[in-house]
Amino acid sequence: MIKDAFLQVSGVYKAYGEGESRQEVLRGMDFSVRKGEFCVLLGPSGSGKSTLLNIIGGIDQADRGYIAINGDKLEDLDEKGLTRYRRKHLGYVFQLYNLIPNLNVKENIEVGAYLSEHPLDIDELLQTLGLYEHRHKLPNQLSGGQQQRTSIGRALVKNPDILLCDEPTGALDYNTSKEILKLMEDVNQKYGNTVIMVTHNEVIAKMADHAIRLRDGVVRSESYNEQKLNAAELEW
Amino acid sequence: MKNPLNRRIPREIRRDWRKYAALFLMLTGIIGFVSAVYIGNGSMEKAAEESFEKYHIEDGHFELKEEADPVLLEKFEARGIRLIPQFYKDQEEDKNRDGVRDAKIRLFKMREDLNLACLHTGAFPASPGEIVIDRMHADNQGIRTGDVIRVGNLDFTVSGLVSFSDYSTLFEKATDTMFDALTFNIAAVTPEGYERIQAPQVWQYAYQMVPRPADTADQRDRSETLAEQLAVLAATGGLADNRREAEKLSPLELLAAPRNELTDFVPEYANQAIHFAITDFGTDKAMAEVLMVIFTLVLAFIFGLTTSSTVTEEAAVIGTLRASGYSRREMLLHYGAAPLFVTLLAAVLGNLLGYTLLKNVAVGLYYNSYSLPLYETRWSGEALLKTTLIPLGIMALVVTGILLRKLRLSPLKFLRRDLSRTRRAKALRLPAWTFLKRFRIRIFLQNLGGYLTLIIGIFLVMVLLTFSFGLPATLEHEQDEAKNHLLAPYQTILKSPVDGKGQVISVTEPTAEPFRLAGLKTVDGTRTGEDISIYGYIPGSRYFKLPDALPEGQAYVSSDFADKFGLKKGQELRLKDKYGTEIYLFTVAGFYEMPGSMALLLPEDAFVRAFGLSEEGYSAYLSEKPLEEVEENHIATVITVEDVLKMARQMDHSLGAFMRFFKVICLGIAFLLIFLLTKLIIGRNTVSISMVKVLGYENREVNSLYVRLTTGIVVAAALATAFLSIPFVAWLWKLIMKRMNGWFGFYISPGDVIKGILMLLGAYLLVAFFDMRRIRRIPLTEALKNVE
Repeated sequence: MIKDAFLQVSGVYKAYGEGESRQEVLRGMDFSVRKGEFCVLLGPSGSGKSTLLNIIGGIDQADRGYIAINGDKLEDLDEKGLTRYRRKHLGYVFQLYNLIPNLNVKENIEVGAYLSEHPLDIDELLQTLGLYEHRHKLPNQLSGGQQQRTSIGRALVKNPDILLCDEPTGALDYNTSKEILKLMEDVNQKYGNTVIMVTHNEVIAKMADHAIRLRDGVVRSESYNEQKLNAAELEW
Repeated sequence: MKNPLNRRIPREIRRDWRKYAALFLMLTGIIGFVSAVYIGNGSMEKAAEESFEKYHIEDGHFELKEEADPVLLEKFEARGIRLIPQFYKDQEEDKNRDGVRDAKIRLFKMREDLNLACLHTGAFPASPGEIVIDRMHADNQGIRTGDVIRVGNLDFTVSGLVSFSDYSTLFEKATDTMFDALTFNIAAVTPEGYERIQAPQVWQYAYQMVPRPADTADQRDRSETLAEQLAVLAATGGLADNRREAEKLSPLELLAAPRNELTDFVPEYANQAIHFAITDFGTDKAMAEVLMVIFTLVLAFIFGLTTSSTVTEEAAVIGTLRASGYSRREMLLHYGAAPLFVTLLAAVLGNLLGYTLLKNVAVGLYYNSYSLPLYETRWSGEALLKTTLIPLGIMALVVTGILLRKLRLSPLKFLRRDLSRTRRAKALRLPAWTFLKRFRIRIFLQNLGGYLTLIIGIFLVMVLLTFSFGLPATLEHEQDEAKNHLLAPYQTILKSPVDGKGQVISVTEPTAEPFRLAGLKTVDGTRTGEDISIYGYIPGSRYFKLPDALPEGQAYVSSDFADKFGLKKGQELRLKDKYGTEIYLFTVAGFYEMPGSMALLLPEDAFVRAFGLSEEGYSAYLSEKPLEEVEENHIATVITVEDVLKMARQMDHSLGAFMRFFKVICLGIAFLLIFLLTKLIIGRNTVSISMVKVLGYENREVNSLYVRLTTGIVVAAALATAFLSIPFVAWLWKLIMKRMNGWFGFYISPGDVIKGILMLLGAYLLVAFFDMRRIRRIPLTEALKNVE
């Protein structure tokens, strides 16, 4: 366990189903993440990445073990406490964007801003995201990359401590994926949020400060990049 | 910062505008109608109340056998009244001068002191050939201003249509049980016009008390004394005003006096022609309010379901928002806002319509039944509160309930679009039926929730249909019951047990049986102020099958009275004098079957003791034949089968149109509800339907899977709920009746039940057509879309 851990995952177990159909997804997961770190959770399908992300996000619960943010354990929080935790500390980015179809780009970002007492400047963020010209468009008028940028904007605008990204490039083509990764990198550097990104793309580990490899519900390996690559330099 | 999600609300309404428009229109119509009933009712009630001052309504009137001598009139007025002659003549009316009598018409000279007329159209008569007639009678007979009608053998031009303040209900006799605006008319002409009419004159005098009575109790006390005084004064030509003094007068003194005879005496509070309409106003409000609650419940149910379906469609969005930190409360407010907003808008527009367009419909219902004066629209706080708060409250409760249940799921479930509440059960093993049959069973089990909701919806619609078919049937049935259970073919109520000379009125008709009759009011229980008739029957009565004696203070109650007030044997009952404050206590000895009657029955001697009466004379008779031997001027009223039927006809006249309108609304609701619910079921199965199409199924086969299944469920539900709704409506009916005068049970004939079922199935037939079209339009690509 590292000294200045911001996020601490300790002995987390999670299983679904009962009896013969019971399946252990997480089997004693342990690791820590520092504040402001760009951390990537890598692993094949079924390795427990998304489940772990959901537990960190407070939308699923561990059967055993705990998650602590700044030393505060999530298991101590009730339903309202978890909502407050998500509201204050978390930003979520999904593979399929999950934008609100009848709100335009700016309004979708405002949906996130509304939750924060000190949101980022929306117009500036739109510029950063390269969406300013598209701010009045509805999601169905945008490309996949633009939709994902909007979704990142929505997560980012409340300036969360942790940005949880579940396969954010999973539904995008190569170039758009690189654009999004570049954006994540910029965001991490500019705003200093801790980014935890779930992906099965090994290459993305090269741009992360910290890569955690999962298999069958346990941490197989952890590595810290002394000389990480820029997102633009990534090739796959 | 304002919640950005709020901007979605108008967009959501725009996106699904057909659904919201349909629900909005229905709600607006219902709220508007109820608001109109309240406003119309309140305004008319106020106008009727104010008409006492505005049109100088009498404190009472009496009739003499011949015109009173001025000396006698002076003696009358010395008893604290101001007299105004209002003589009249009854003649035959022939509206189109075809030689066929159309009605009886009562003609007054234009009255300018008491009992003024309210002019609705045209002008008051200015020449001897002009006449004003009752507005409602004119409407019923199709007479218009400018028409010429024949009265007796004279022609009069109708110069205007009016309502007479002392005839707001067209009772020919003030004590009649029912009025008839079709064959009875009131009119006024100029004094010259009046002189032209060839008919016997009735010497009627209206009076006003001096000083004016403080309240009804005071008016009643003074009227009772006055009736006695006037009768004796008339009989003695003004020489005495009480029987004791009158008995001392010598025949010679009486011979010289201007003697007369009091043939009728009607104080204002006992005049049905003045009071019937006002008493009748309250019942409509109770009925309208219950209907609004049922309708709003049905619409709230529809709103709740469609909102729930929106939640299903937007599962991923909700999951994202919840994962981002939006609370369940914020989601609830967001998804509940559109239905509440639409309800609020419907309440606002409904109330506006209630004050304008629809008010005229409601007022029309009253003008159809009564000859009421012109009214001013009055603002009604009660209407606004009830027609806004009740629908909003019901909508908030139902929608919140449904949403809370749905939103209780975790954000993760929403993100995974897995909104099932229960763990997936193992597949049910089905017998070796045909594949399509098993397929249908699977579809049914898979959509069990949707179909259960459809069944509940059908039940609610069936409740409305049962109500609309049952109400007229109930009225008719009640009249039949009352007719079959009449105490006797003739019930003759006397004005007084004694005649003008103080002689007890007796009859020789062998079937006649005297009884005593009084009226009291309830002071507590289900409803205060309920009118209760008290019957005092003679020992060995042939009409009342009850014991000749009862322990002191005990009395039988009619079964309807017991039913309404939940009376038990041995229970103590408190009743109050109708116009005074005296309380009477009775103990329930048992129950007596008297359909349609709120009555208390006790042996004659107990009756006499309870009311402190003299033992001489009876106020009423039951008989098999009419009591022709009793002079007409001693009879207050005779109740026969005809009177009972008259009431049924009148109620059908005023409620019939309302119920027809109600049935159309029910049909609309049935269509809308089944349409929306089957749309939801098909919506949830879009991918499956698309998939079976991809596999090669034809539309016809898909229809046979989904539409045939729905048809079977609708038919079965219609049959089952038709019978389940009857006890439910009967229970609702009891709630309504508890707020009204009188009591009778709900009744619906098997024929009407079948009509209700057919109506619902008719609505479904149309829905099935739309469902088939919807299934046909589901694209094959739907099944191939990427689903997370």
